[in-house]
Amino acid sequence: MYSEQEINLITLSSFEELSYKNAVILLSDFQSFEPDFEKYRNLLIKSFKDGVYNKLKGKFYSASYRQKLLQKLDERSIKCVTYFSELYPEPLKHAVCPPLVLYCKGNTDLLKTRIFAIVGSRRTLPNVLKECSKISAELSRAFTVVTGLADGADTAAIEGAIGTGKVISVLANGFDHVYPAMNEPLLKKIEERGLVITEYTPQIQPKPYNFPVRNRIIAGLAEGTLIVSAGKKSGALITAGYANDTDRLVYAFPYGLGVSSGVGCNNLIKTDRAKLVECADDIFYDFNITFKREERCEMSEEEIAVYEAVSQLGDAFVAQIADKIGKLPYLIIPTLTSLEMKGLIVRLGGNRFSAVQK
Amino acid sequence: MLSKITCFALNGLEGVAVEVETDINKGMVSYDLVGLPDAAVKESKERVRSAIKNSVLKFPINKITINLAPADIKKEGSHYDLPIAISILKASDQLVADTDGTVFLGELALDGTLRAVQGILPILISAKSCGFKKFVVPLCNANEASYIEGTEVYALNNLADVVGFLTGEKSFEPVQAKSFQAVQNLVKYNYDMSLVRGQKVAKRALEIAVAGGHNILLSGPPGTGKTMLARCIPTVMPDMTFDEALEVTKIHSVAGALGDEGIVSMRPFRTPHHTASTVSLCGGGNTKIHPGEISMAHKGVLFLDELPEYTRHSIESLRQPLEDRVITVARAGGSVTFPADFILCASMNPCPCGNYGSAYQTCTCTPSQIHKYRSKISGPLLDRIDLQVEVDGVKYDDLAGDSNEEPSSAVKARVEKAREIQRQRFADEGISLNSNMGEKHIKKYCRLSAECEEVLKNVFVSLHLSVRARSRIIKVARTIADLAFSDDIKPEHILEAASYRHQDVN
Repeated sequence: MYSEQEINLITLSSFEELSYKNAVILLSDFQSFEPDFEKYRNLLIKSFKDGVYNKLKGKFYSASYRQKLLQKLDERSIKCVTYFSELYPEPLKHAVCPPLVLYCKGNTDLLKTRIFAIVGSRRTLPNVLKECSKISAELSRAFTVVTGLADGADTAAIEGAIGTGKVISVLANGFDHVYPAMNEPLLKKIEERGLVITEYTPQIQPKPYNFPVRNRIIAGLAEGTLIVSAGKKSGALITAGYANDTDRLVYAFPYGLGVSSGVGCNNLIKTDRAKLVECADDIFYDFNITFKREERCEMSEEEIAVYEAVSQLGDAFVAQIADKIGKLPYLIIPTLTSLEMKGLIVRLGGNRFSAVQK
Repeated sequence: MLSKITCFALNGLEGVAVEVETDINKGMVSYDLVGLPDAAVKESKERVRSAIKNSVLKFPINKITINLAPADIKKEGSHYDLPIAISILKASDQLVADTDGTVFLGELALDGTLRAVQGILPILISAKSCGFKKFVVPLCNANEASYIEGTEVYALNNLADVVGFLTGEKSFEPVQAKSFQAVQNLVKYNYDMSLVRGQKVAKRALEIAVAGGHNILLSGPPGTGKTMLARCIPTVMPDMTFDEALEVTKIHSVAGALGDEGIVSMRPFRTPHHTASTVSLCGGGNTKIHPGEISMAHKGVLFLDELPEYTRHSIESLRQPLEDRVITVARAGGSVTFPADFILCASMNPCPCGNYGSAYQTCTCTPSQIHKYRSKISGPLLDRIDLQVEVDGVKYDDLAGDSNEEPSSAVKARVEKAREIQRQRFADEGISLNSNMGEKHIKKYCRLSAECEEVLKNVFVSLHLSVRARSRIIKVARTIADLAFSDDIKPEHILEAASYRHQDVN
């Protein structure tokens, strides 16, 4: 099933003690198919505790260890795409520190499609989440959407694209764990319809420092990256940094003054590290993709009046909207609900509503 | 000589006739009380002895045996003092009078004064149905005893007066029957809808809740007036009828929580603190079973502030009474059923820091924290809360300045009309409010047109509501239609009902 070279990589990547850097050194920067333990012996012994070098070397050449390892992966229906595999995405090879192995669950064919990344903060405003889902759904017509699995923006992006099945979620831990645990049902859904990948061998737990490292894969897989929300020190900015470093296109949503979950996005735009984006067409334009627009859903007269009022007010309390169109508040509640159902406005909490762009 | 005096014991809210028998014999001097008395009743021996002595009467120095019959009912409380004293006086021939058909109730002070006792009203009602007409009760309980028509209640001050009254040496007038209407007219609440600024959506939801008897959950940032809104609920509820008032008074009387008027004329508003134990909410007790907060809130409002802070166990215990509107408290010594028909109003913050959804403050909670906080309230409990509504986060500017707000009386008028429609509709069903409807009633009275079915289906799909919400949306839509005097449920009623269900989104 796997070639000898691929098994070499899978075995190397299963060693928790072996750092990525040392693994790459052993492979002479991916120039050789076989790790050269003898050549780099002195270098490795220095970075290990006593005896670890010999243990790893012994394991690497042990046929039974390899067999057990592959069997374990097989039992969990984890497919491995290694650096030497045909399926390994070309863009990732040119990224910062390409991973040795991608452990995959789901539809691995997605790795060969055009990929676009959508990332953002866990604390994203409800109306932006809605926009995020919407743009993700539209982008998934031309691209496969890649993101993480956190709640907030990641979840919204997944929900938008899951309908087409063109969605990849990159984890920062092995397949034995689910983080955040709340998203387990969502994870199962992506495994069924899309693809979940990670560079970590199954038993690796989610560690805070794994997340920024994981972000290089998200940025590396994608032709472009959209930052939907980012605070001052958001992890999404790290993803943007990786994308910038490898000359991929970076896009960001614009934010108003004083919105803390948008400071990072505005900073990117200000410093020319990202292009301002309002809708999917802005991105499609750069990639020379055109779609015929779908017809918008119909609105009754009342709905149009309420929708206009909401979009003029920005975000507004029910009472304010009612004042604007001169009706009693409870009389516009049904209209607000039906607009919410059509996805034209969103509930912000505390009886406030905000319009979503048509 | 042997004497028999009638008195009553309380079992939950029901009175049971108890005979106090006293026999005085020659022999070794002793003073025994038998017939399953509890500690307070046993101690009455000493109070009775002093009270008789201090009322310038003689306590017999003989062998005295007192029996409380029937002997298999546990006797609790202090109201046996007076019947025991009268029975001793009769047995020792110091009092010659006809006491048949008279019920004596009262606790004695050492100087012979009669002290107030608990549970007078339920005893009176039970005794009246057993055929007793004449009662002697402590003066302090006069008010409570004055609302039962067709009885002759004498409220006296001390033991000497009782003896004088029985022998005919002193004459007393029976307590004058009071009209409930007069008390009702004096009812004045400290809160009013007009005192709550803004909050149009929450006010509308309260109106619907009261009109249909639905339970309601208010969620919003701290300091936005959730408690104030809740306190307005009794002010928009219809006035209590006399029968309702009697029922509520019975419970409050048994709990010893009756005010000076002697009758509960205002809708109860109970706010147990979130440290409340399950027993204090539902009722219970070792020997005497006391009504809990949910029964004290009967015909009124039970307000649970900061719902997620209550222990899971105590919140979950509300599920059955919310459904059945009564609670049966079972203990080794027997079980008692208390009514518990109340509107549950709960409040909570939208997230642990309280600022989620606020227009002016930033929420510092992560989505998983919010999820965890909200999931503290279980699905089955949420199932029983028909309306879940958010409260606007208000700024100082909104509170300052004058604005014309609708007074409670206007809302109350609409509520009464809507309740009248429901009463007529459910005349043959044994229920009176939309919230009491079961699946059978929903099928019969809430038929949806094809258009409405379509809207309802869309609501579920696009707002990601859980299926559990369906019958509640229909019930609330029925109430909204009643408020609009509409015979049929229309799409806008369903859409409005759906907007009060944000917690169900999954």
